[in-house]
Amino acid sequence: MLSMTNISKVYRSEMVQTNALRDFNFQVNEGEFIAVTGPSGSGKTTFLNIAGMLETYTGGTYQLDGIDVGRLSDNGRAELRNQKIGFIFQGFNLIPDLNLYENVEVPLRYRGIKAAERKRRIERCLEQVGLGARAKHVPAQLSGGQQQRVAIARALAGEPRFLLADEPTGNLDSLMARQVMELLENINKDGATIIMVTHDPELARRAQRNIQVVDGQICDFKLYQGGLEKQRAGAEV
Amino acid sequence: MFLHYIDLGWRSLRRTPVVSLLMLLAIAIGIGVTMTSLSVYHMMSVNPMPHKNDQLFAVQLRTMDQGADWWTSDNLPFQLTYQDAMNLRKGSVPFRQTAMLKTGFGVKPANPDIPPFIETARAADSDFFAMYEVPFAYGAAWDKAVDLQGEAVAVIGDELNQKLFGGGNNVGKDIVLDSVSYRIVGILKAWKLEPQIYDLNNGAWGQNEQLFIPFSLLPIQELKSWGNNNGWKYEEENTYQDKLNSEVVWLQYKVELKDKQAQQDFRDYMAGYIKEQQKLGRFKRDDAEGDIKNISQWLDYRQIVSADNKILVGLSFMFLFVCLANILSLLLAKFLKRAPEIGVRRALGASKTQVFAQHLVEVGMLGLAGGALGLLIAQLGLYLLRSGFSRYEAVAQMDLTMWLAAPTISILACLLAGCYPAWKVCRTTPALYLKTQ
Repeated sequence: MLSMTNISKVYRSEMVQTNALRDFNFQVNEGEFIAVTGPSGSGKTTFLNIAGMLETYTGGTYQLDGIDVGRLSDNGRAELRNQKIGFIFQGFNLIPDLNLYENVEVPLRYRGIKAAERKRRIERCLEQVGLGARAKHVPAQLSGGQQQRVAIARALAGEPRFLLADEPTGNLDSLMARQVMELLENINKDGATIIMVTHDPELARRAQRNIQVVDGQICDFKLYQGGLEKQRAGAEV
Repeated sequence: MFLHYIDLGWRSLRRTPVVSLLMLLAIAIGIGVTMTSLSVYHMMSVNPMPHKNDQLFAVQLRTMDQGADWWTSDNLPFQLTYQDAMNLRKGSVPFRQTAMLKTGFGVKPANPDIPPFIETARAADSDFFAMYEVPFAYGAAWDKAVDLQGEAVAVIGDELNQKLFGGGNNVGKDIVLDSVSYRIVGILKAWKLEPQIYDLNNGAWGQNEQLFIPFSLLPIQELKSWGNNNGWKYEEENTYQDKLNSEVVWLQYKVELKDKQAQQDFRDYMAGYIKEQQKLGRFKRDDAEGDIKNISQWLDYRQIVSADNKILVGLSFMFLFVCLANILSLLLAKFLKRAPEIGVRRALGASKTQVFAQHLVEVGMLGLAGGALGLLIAQLGLYLLRSGFSRYEAVAQMDLTMWLAAPTISILACLLAGCYPAWKVCRTTPALYLKTQ
């Protein structure tokens, strides 16, 4: 479903060349919950940005649902991103002028969804994250945890197949972090594939698969038995 | 999506009120100044009868002897001699035609309470009214027969009718002009034709005449010329007949020619006339010829819009350009400051085209508001021109074209200024800002 083969990303300046990713090979199957860990500067966010088509890559092949991302134009990538990918950022990245309803509406507008359908989805997603009653509030009136839940609602509203989360609990206290994590787990159970970058080993352990990125490469690969295997076995039974 | 962009644009403008106000003032002042000068230029150069542009023609003849030149660009006098006007108007080629003279009278009202006054008049043929679509309230032009043998009849304008009789249908009443009684055969509705394309010799602007009499009265009443009289050689003029026989050019002659064939026929007719006159000893030059000019050619030829006005328009557009440069830099700063938000929008699926369009709509809204405010500033500028300089009274106006042009120019100018900032911001790399928000 998501396949990266020998992906490399090089940042060049006049003086320095930085290899952010090198021979990065990665496959993701439908319904997985994957945690990406690694030290700062290891290339986790670069990987996530490339996976979300927010950045282009220097070499290799990246296929998303069988579509060769490298062959797409910028607008084509934007359309694919809009249709298939939801983002959750560490800094929430809500638009401060817009209320919660309007924030969640942003990706739906770009997809050209009709007003009635937008309303239905927004209300459903805000209810799902427990903020249905605060749709008219602006982000500044919410706590960090609530803002992150709005960001999750925004990501969910587009009904994406992939949810890419970049340290979604990084700015939250432990209680709120747990709540957000539970929310992500529920979303994963509902069928969304989640790739989450995190520094928190406890959160990483709760994912079905954990990969570690060091110096722009995957250095360890563990499949957690309690995760995808069990899910598959259950499905086969 | 367009309405959504308008909503976003409105929010954005409100978010930075000071910058928005500065940009609004910059475009409004630029548009105000530009529209003031452009309106004057437009009103000066406007063709008041575009639908008859290729039908109404001014007639010119190069009548001077070899060696005598005129000061015009094509060495043709603006007006005709009496004998040429009389000879040419005998022809039947034009659909309509009129010879004309600007003259004037002392008017003695029948009402003793109204003191006598001086009134400018126009001696013309009966076709004049149809040619220039002069509207009648009562009566009509005098009969064609009067064009051949003068009769003391007159057509008066609405204003003069009000002044003399207090308005109403006064056809059949008399008006005394220089002690001669003229029977009123027609009364005009309020009427305005500017620039006065039928006679540009004494200024293109100002009130049209309120008094018209038959051109055929010219030799009978020995009508004085209140317009320009130009000669190219010394001639004794002891009697009025001397002037009629002279080579002095002092009469306007206009023709209405329906189509290209009629125009060619009239040119041939003029060429034949010149040859005939040369046989009679006139037009002693190798390049004696005639010419006809349609309305727009005539306005251009008579340089109704002075070079100063053109320079002024150019300067005002340069000023607008400076305003736009300021707007461009303000927009650039404003849009780039918003790059993180754009990064989020791009991450959520906005294409470059959508981001570009969103910002152009915002700029377009600024242009629309600036255009509206600019219109008010232009109105103020035109008002100041009208009150400060009486010669601008007729032209310091804004017609529908200019009312529509102001917001159009403003929006286009703002879009032009906004293109680069919008392009710059739409190229935002989303990933660059998502971590830094």
